[in-house]
Amino acid sequence: MPINVALGTSENHDPVQAAVEALNQAKEKLGSQKIDLCILFTSSNLTHPNILKTIHNYLTEDVQVYGASGIAVISNEGKTLRYGLTVALLSFSENIYFNSAFVSDISAKTPSIAGEELGEKLSFGFKNIRRDFGVLLSDGYIYDASAFLNGLKRRLGLSFPIVGGCASDNLKLHKTFLYYNNAIINDSACGLVFGGKLNFGIGIKHGWKPLGKMRSITSSNANVIYEIDNQPAAKIYEEYFSMNINQLRKELKRISILYPIGIFLEGEDEYLLRNLLYIDESGALIFQGSVPEQSSIRLMIGTKESCIDAARQAAEEVKKNFLGRTINFVLVFDSVSRYTLLRREAEEEINTIKGVLGKETPIAGFYTFGEQAPLKSINYQGQSHFHNQSIAILAIGG
Amino acid sequence: MQIVAIICFVGIVVISIVLVYKLDKIKEQGSSIDKLKKSLDEMDEQAKLIVRTDMELNKAQEELDKKIRGLFTLQGLSRSMMTSLEENQIFRMITPEHIHELGFEKVVAFLWNSAQKRFDIHVRTGYPEEEINDIKKYIEENKDDYLELMKKATTISSITRSKELSLENRITSVFKATFFIMSPILPKEGDGGFLFVGTDDTETPINEGDEELITILANQLAQALENARLFDKTWKAQQSLEEKVAERTSELTSALKELQLVSKRKNDFISSVSHELRTPLTSIKGYAAILLAGKLGEMPAEIRQRLEKINKHSDELAHMVNELLDIARIESGRQIMKKENLDIKEVAEKVADMLGVQAKEKNISLSVNIPNNTFVLADRQQIERVFINLVGNALKFTPEKGKVAISSQPANEAVQVDITDSGCGIPENALDAIFEEFYRVDNAVNEGVKGTGLGLSLVKHVVEAHEGKIWVKSKLGSGSTFSFTLPKAG
Repeated sequence: MPINVALGTSENHDPVQAAVEALNQAKEKLGSQKIDLCILFTSSNLTHPNILKTIHNYLTEDVQVYGASGIAVISNEGKTLRYGLTVALLSFSENIYFNSAFVSDISAKTPSIAGEELGEKLSFGFKNIRRDFGVLLSDGYIYDASAFLNGLKRRLGLSFPIVGGCASDNLKLHKTFLYYNNAIINDSACGLVFGGKLNFGIGIKHGWKPLGKMRSITSSNANVIYEIDNQPAAKIYEEYFSMNINQLRKELKRISILYPIGIFLEGEDEYLLRNLLYIDESGALIFQGSVPEQSSIRLMIGTKESCIDAARQAAEEVKKNFLGRTINFVLVFDSVSRYTLLRREAEEEINTIKGVLGKETPIAGFYTFGEQAPLKSINYQGQSHFHNQSIAILAIGG
Repeated sequence: MQIVAIICFVGIVVISIVLVYKLDKIKEQGSSIDKLKKSLDEMDEQAKLIVRTDMELNKAQEELDKKIRGLFTLQGLSRSMMTSLEENQIFRMITPEHIHELGFEKVVAFLWNSAQKRFDIHVRTGYPEEEINDIKKYIEENKDDYLELMKKATTISSITRSKELSLENRITSVFKATFFIMSPILPKEGDGGFLFVGTDDTETPINEGDEELITILANQLAQALENARLFDKTWKAQQSLEEKVAERTSELTSALKELQLVSKRKNDFISSVSHELRTPLTSIKGYAAILLAGKLGEMPAEIRQRLEKINKHSDELAHMVNELLDIARIESGRQIMKKENLDIKEVAEKVADMLGVQAKEKNISLSVNIPNNTFVLADRQQIERVFINLVGNALKFTPEKGKVAISSQPANEAVQVDITDSGCGIPENALDAIFEEFYRVDNAVNEGVKGTGLGLSLVKHVVEAHEGKIWVKSKLGSGSTFSFTLPKAG
């Protein structure tokens, strides 16, 4: 098999014991095969430098560690763990290549320049080899995540497929973490670029439906909308919810999750979602991703059923890309909004994906503050975009 | 020219007609657009209604989810708390996960320690060391207030508007929680305390439902504490009882060992003394017999009279020595019982026959009432001794014209033999001691009749060596019944 993947999961509350438990399971499955890469996802309350120390002590080889923390992690058993971690040990055949890199101090460098820096570092290792796709993990509190992705695309190629997610937390500490080799980092991003003899498939969906009249962004800059239909942007929410700005702010978390703004994309099945971060005094709306001027937008509404159905569609899209070939490993980047909306049914969403991609297919993931994945319609030339409230699935195989 | 003018005119007319028609069309389309616009606006209004209703539904759903989650957590927590029988373990059951599921991030449980006269913190979550120290200090400084509050047995929270509002404000600042619930833990016995939970999450403020849930949890805690304390008490009582039993057992064991040793020494002593006594006794008896036989010449009547006494007393002494030796042998297990199928009726009749003369002398009616074929597993010779002793005693203590009856009855796997007399009876205080060695009942008969005081002891030893039991029922002046059991023949 060109890619061998062994997974381990633990719900132990002690970071070191949790790491050892998960590594024991994974190592037992992998046997004596060499380990090329270790992917680690932990729940945000378990984040601790000792996890990385434990991994490096346990795996005697010089293994690269790459991962993120999220409000919950997705285990191979189809569980969503609020306290826990999942470890994937990957062993690649000789004709599969990958390169990893990270960039720190994104705020100081500006997201756009930091994105370019990461792109440069990632392409550096791939001088004479064709790059197939990239995996991006980034801090959940980057101010303009779209700008970062655009910077990265400028260096890796505008249509280069990039899949990934932003680390998340319980919205209280306002700090998210990434794992990169020996370090726990924030205000950073790390990437993996793959090439060689391997297949991949990507699916992204959200399931939110448009509601009400189509409107137009008449004034915006990056991730801020100033005016919609020549009126203060907040008016759209004021009208729909019959609330003033102060009342809206109190309900911001709920509105952000349940009723995001959808940007109409010509030729795409779904609108591109943007969730609301803040409403300022002047009535400007601040989002997590970019909101280009002249875009047609609508208010969106989501239900649990449409969410789970979207996850199924995303998994089917992945499967279609694989044309019946074996999938060796599945990575899931699932939005925190979906986790909050689905609550007790969150595991049903994961099991729906497992149902489509095969119960025995190794799967790992975490809940994200934003996802990256390509848009597939011809109008967007497969360019990767920053998404909100979506589930992005990446499958790789030999 | 005219033709051209006509054509122009017709053209203008046609164009005018077309224009009028087009204008109508435009007007029509404009009205359609207006209708469409109106529909869109109406749809947008409907969308607003949908969104608002959806938001209300979601809020209700969230509330419901929160309640279900809370109840589910409470149920799990209660179940695990109720199975804990150790006080500290009960508090360890409350994990940050449980608190989170109940919708809080902070928890402190503190119990009054009446021995130390202070409140002790048993659970804390969500507080760094310095904050918990502040809380400890605050509780210590206000312990009297909290003891008073405990007596009131009411839950206070950031949503209650009680008279102790100042207290609630202080709790908010000391325990550093925007929203809080503090419920008393009141076990029926022993010290109580408080369960505090708090959150800073302003988006999901607490409500009466949360207050109810935390009050239930505090009550469950109290119940679990009660159980643990009761268990502790019972366990300690049992431990001390077990210790006492062990102590007494050990005392009894050593006393028994001592007794066994004494008994063995006594038997050894009796055995050796008896053996030593038998040799000179035989000589004395032998010489007395020779003298009495006149082989050494005739002797005066007075000497003969004394010699006969020597002979008689020697016989009695020899009898006593033999009985002592028998008892010692049986006790030490050296005497082997030659068990056989024995017709107990036959033995009884033989003994009755043997002692018939004695009965006749006193005009006593001696009867045997044992059914035919009553077989026991016993040593014939030894059982004969039992009968001789018991019937002999009965005849001895029964006055003239009295009655002595030997009867039997089945008793489970044994046969019970009863020897009943109409004699003087045995005083109640002597009943227990009657089977002891050298014990003689203090009565008129015994004063006049000689005895070794070993007969009944020997009988007891013989019966017990057959795994039987012996006992007596008697009433002073109304006769006695000696009963013993022997195993039924297989």
